[in-house]
Amino acid sequence: MKRNIPIYIIALFIFLSFQSTGLKAQKLEGTIRYLRTQNWAKMMASVDYISKQQRDRSMYMWGTRSEWKTYTHLHFNATESKYENSEEEAEPGNEGWSDRKEIFFMKCNFKDNTLYDGLTLLGKTYLIHDSIVPPKWKIMNDMKEVAGHICMNASMNDTLRKQNTTVWFALDMPLSSGPDRFIGLPGIILEVDVNNGALIMTADKIDMLPLTTELDVPAKLKGKKVTMSEYTKLIEKQIKERKAAEEPWFWGMSY
Amino acid sequence: MKLKILLPLILLSFLSCFAQAQNPTRVSIKGTLQDTLHQAIPFATVMLLNNSDSSLVNFLSSTDKGEFAFNNVKNSTYLLKVQHMSYLPVQMLLQPSSAAINNIPVVTMKPISQMLMEVVIRAAKAPLRIKGDTVEYDASTFKVPPGSTVEDLLRRLPGIDVDADGNISTQGKDVTRMYVDGKTFFGDDPKSVTKNVGAEAISKVQVYNEKSEQSKLTGVDDGSQEKTMNLELKAEFKKGSFGKVTIAGGTENRWAGRANYNRFNDKSQLSFIGYGNNINQTGVNWEDYGEFKGNNAFNNFDNGDFGFNRNGGRMFYFSSDDSPVSNYDGKGLTENYGAGTNFNFDNKKTKFNASYFYNQTQLDFQQKKYQKTSLVNESAFDQYDTLINSDFRSSHSVATRFEQEFDSSNKLIVKANFRFATNQNHEITSQQFSDTLLKPYNIRTLNNFTDLASYKITSAAIYRHLFKKKGRAFAYSVGYNSNFNDGTENYNSINKFFDATTPTEQIRQMINTNKNVNELKSSALYTEPLSKRVFLEFFYNYSQLTNKSNRQAYPFETEVRIDSLSAYYDQVTMYNRVGSVLRYSYNGLNASVGIAEQQLKLTGLYSLDKGLPWDNQKVTKTFPNFTPNVNVNYEFKNNMRLDLGYSNDISAPDFNDLQPIKNTSNPSYQIIGNPDLIPENAHNVEFGVHYWNPSSFSSIGVNLNYGITMNPIVYSQSSHFDSNKGMITTSTPENMDQGTNMGSWLWSSIPIIKTKLTIDFNGGADMSNRPTRINDTLNDIKSQNYNLGSNLNYTATSKLILSVGGSGGFSKIRYNKSEKNNQDYFNYVIRSSVKWQFIDRMFFESNFNYSVFKNESFGFNQSIPLWNASVRRIMGKKNKFETRLAVFDIFDKNVNINQYALLNIVGTTKTNTLARYFMLSVTYNMKGFENKIQKNRFM
Repeated sequence: MKRNIPIYIIALFIFLSFQSTGLKAQKLEGTIRYLRTQNWAKMMASVDYISKQQRDRSMYMWGTRSEWKTYTHLHFNATESKYENSEEEAEPGNEGWSDRKEIFFMKCNFKDNTLYDGLTLLGKTYLIHDSIVPPKWKIMNDMKEVAGHICMNASMNDTLRKQNTTVWFALDMPLSSGPDRFIGLPGIILEVDVNNGALIMTADKIDMLPLTTELDVPAKLKGKKVTMSEYTKLIEKQIKERKAAEEPWFWGMSY
Repeated sequence: MKLKILLPLILLSFLSCFAQAQNPTRVSIKGTLQDTLHQAIPFATVMLLNNSDSSLVNFLSSTDKGEFAFNNVKNSTYLLKVQHMSYLPVQMLLQPSSAAINNIPVVTMKPISQMLMEVVIRAAKAPLRIKGDTVEYDASTFKVPPGSTVEDLLRRLPGIDVDADGNISTQGKDVTRMYVDGKTFFGDDPKSVTKNVGAEAISKVQVYNEKSEQSKLTGVDDGSQEKTMNLELKAEFKKGSFGKVTIAGGTENRWAGRANYNRFNDKSQLSFIGYGNNINQTGVNWEDYGEFKGNNAFNNFDNGDFGFNRNGGRMFYFSSDDSPVSNYDGKGLTENYGAGTNFNFDNKKTKFNASYFYNQTQLDFQQKKYQKTSLVNESAFDQYDTLINSDFRSSHSVATRFEQEFDSSNKLIVKANFRFATNQNHEITSQQFSDTLLKPYNIRTLNNFTDLASYKITSAAIYRHLFKKKGRAFAYSVGYNSNFNDGTENYNSINKFFDATTPTEQIRQMINTNKNVNELKSSALYTEPLSKRVFLEFFYNYSQLTNKSNRQAYPFETEVRIDSLSAYYDQVTMYNRVGSVLRYSYNGLNASVGIAEQQLKLTGLYSLDKGLPWDNQKVTKTFPNFTPNVNVNYEFKNNMRLDLGYSNDISAPDFNDLQPIKNTSNPSYQIIGNPDLIPENAHNVEFGVHYWNPSSFSSIGVNLNYGITMNPIVYSQSSHFDSNKGMITTSTPENMDQGTNMGSWLWSSIPIIKTKLTIDFNGGADMSNRPTRINDTLNDIKSQNYNLGSNLNYTATSKLILSVGGSGGFSKIRYNKSEKNNQDYFNYVIRSSVKWQFIDRMFFESNFNYSVFKNESFGFNQSIPLWNASVRRIMGKKNKFETRLAVFDIFDKNVNINQYALLNIVGTTKTNTLARYFMLSVTYNMKGFENKIQKNRFM
């Protein structure tokens, strides 16, 4: 490699010019598949009200074997996006067993600044129509590449869930979308790291293809209509109760 | 005049004040982006950040002319940040503007150097970060073989050159300074670090420019900079350890000691544990054992016996093979010692575990037993036993497990366990037989010694392959188990009669036993996805079990074999099964239907002794069967789950049941095998519903099962009074027509006041109906067991937790041919406990159980109040010490009671056990104790 730098640079320039012109010409529309990895022991380790002894113990006994992988999808075009779970099995060999699919989608319209979420919390379905209030992001200075896109990083602190989150957003995908509730940056968020690996979502496949019905939401949905702040209050209440019982707050609820 | 001069001045100052205050509250910020050749940069991300905390205020993309404008933003101090994938990021401070439109100077962006870009593009995953002029590599994403040095790692980093001599350069400049975690390491030569430090310790490699030593010393920046490299060490690489030591001494010569120590890093765990005591802790507790086994405590479900149950899914089980966990059954006094070590290695691809454990227990108990054997025609006889038992057990166990994931589609698991165990037992029993009117028949005194040694090997290998097509999989397993037992048994019995005319019977025998069981087995499983939701599985199982056992009986101190009690067996059980399962799995519904054809082949040869000619009476039996299987699991909305299953199990008779030879360890109760037995054929239906409310944390579950067993193997009982031998019972296994059993189980947990007061319930009812031949008459024995329990848990404050509850059991035994002998017995216990942190670092813990055991027809009624209490105090700077004063059984009333029923026998035993003692203990915990009451123990 060291001896062939000129060839590399030429190849690089050709590649770069292809890539940049290609991206600019390309319509912003497609689907991102995220690999969502949850590490149960690290999730436990982040719950500060549980005794350190218990957290250390779960890390010691489960640290290397508590990862749970699934796939999720983010469909997007220049103004809208929809995030949902994928039916694809992320861990080969797990086929042949299916859990019930709870209602779960998060749709954003960035032109109108509105969102429509269908979420299942503690066994109940909630439908949330509200305006988008992005989290308060801090822009950091690091750069890296995720799934072929150069990304910048930003971070946020969720005081309710006690989560420190670092995300990487693509400079060349100018839409304020991202996986789950992580939205509101100048580019699509391609990687999320919550509490140092407790939850990691990484874009592992990006298909820039025209969408058909992927952005549609189910027509008739039964569920309780709430605002985002009412929904957040429900989560707040549950976390408070689990804290009082000194049990992990994410039992029965998404991390 | 003065005023004339002053007035304009005042006015002027007022105006200037006004001008300052006139800064608009909202402004527009406009600017243009250019590269070093003054070309416009379109499509760059321009962000406006809050200067104080870098939080994002607004952002936009530059136009094709390289222009940007933030309109109507608050007039304040901002950081302007511009990013473009082809340029180095630019950041500048914007002061509040005095004009409504803040036109900022042209922003010039430098293209990212080709070298950097190459690095960015070439590196596939996250290896590079640019922080100002610092380039940072994430070392963990560059794989180097184990044992590599930093130099080997650096050779793999794009953009870094290492020449043959180990000199490092980057971006055309030599790296002249090297730090480890920001500090100088062994002098100035970077090579001293790169050639000596292991690559696995490094988490990040950072390259940046640093002012030369010269300018650092003089404080004058002469502009010359040196390329500097910093190696950041992995946080988890720093080793950790934890451990505890406890010593305790008490009244009644009670003592206990316990110690454990664990060392670990991110890949391996090493632990030691040891204990000794005479307070009936026959092993370690679950909590200590879990930490001892570390990340190997819970194994992936490595069952290689593929079949109707879904294999390869994610299941965990606590690895309990020959575990040294305390399993004291409440009888007698014990003295226990044990020690072990465990090693785990895990780098995600390769998992290895090896452990060794030694434990020994000396158990001594004295027991009184009363039992009634009901016969036909309302007759029965009673038996009063007193028993003195001394038992010594020891075992050495070695367990190993190796798991290798070759790639995402190939995985191999190999397990091998070895165990050597000994057991010496001495039991003196006095059995008094009498009729129900307490008229005694005879007293038999047994004095038996047994001395056994055994070796056991269990091993298995499981290989799994996943095909490219999702859901298509193949698994293969092979296992070998071997068990070798060698023992000597000495039987002495004296049988005295109350009828003076009958002579005293005396038996003295010595029996040598020798048993060698080998099992070879293998299974294969193939899964084919027919669609995304439908799967078809095929499985095949094979096993061959060889049992060679020799039993030679001699009268005491002679060498003339007692032929009627001696035999050598060579038995082979061949098992073949081939089956298929059709599985449907979608959206919470998982259903399967399967069928298998199985064949059991039993071959048994026997002779008087090893090496002697085989007897003509040989067993050769083949049992072919079709076995169907159905399983349905459905998850409703709202966390409700339903399970429904049907299975058909064929179990071959145990070889011991087939051997037509007497076991004379207890001449009053002899078991004789039956060579004509055929397998039991059981049909079982199971049903279960579980509900969990994640919001209230209440849960409820019901399980029901029903089974019909065709040809159940039941021990026929024949009891009679022999004028020369006293009361004798002979028991022979026989196939009956049909037996049924039914069971139900319900539990529930409901928070009455969330997080404060919770009530738990559980209850169950079991019924079984076994036809049993008693003294040649067919008898229907129905047994019914009911139990009910409830517990109320109250967390008053974080410093006080109370609980009160109780449970009870009731058993009914009905004999249709001897109704007078019907039995009812019950027991219940009331429990209460308190945990109280009454001052900082001081705790009081106590529990009180009141147990009652009753059998009215026996006139048996025993109650046991058991009260324990302890006070503990955490001490030391970091709460590392704990002293505890405990009293066990304050009332000194503890005794072990057991009520039981089996076929036509109902009985009660009363055994001595540990009663009142006081104990003072001191524990040192390296990690320190928690200065609070732990509310729950989920981990």
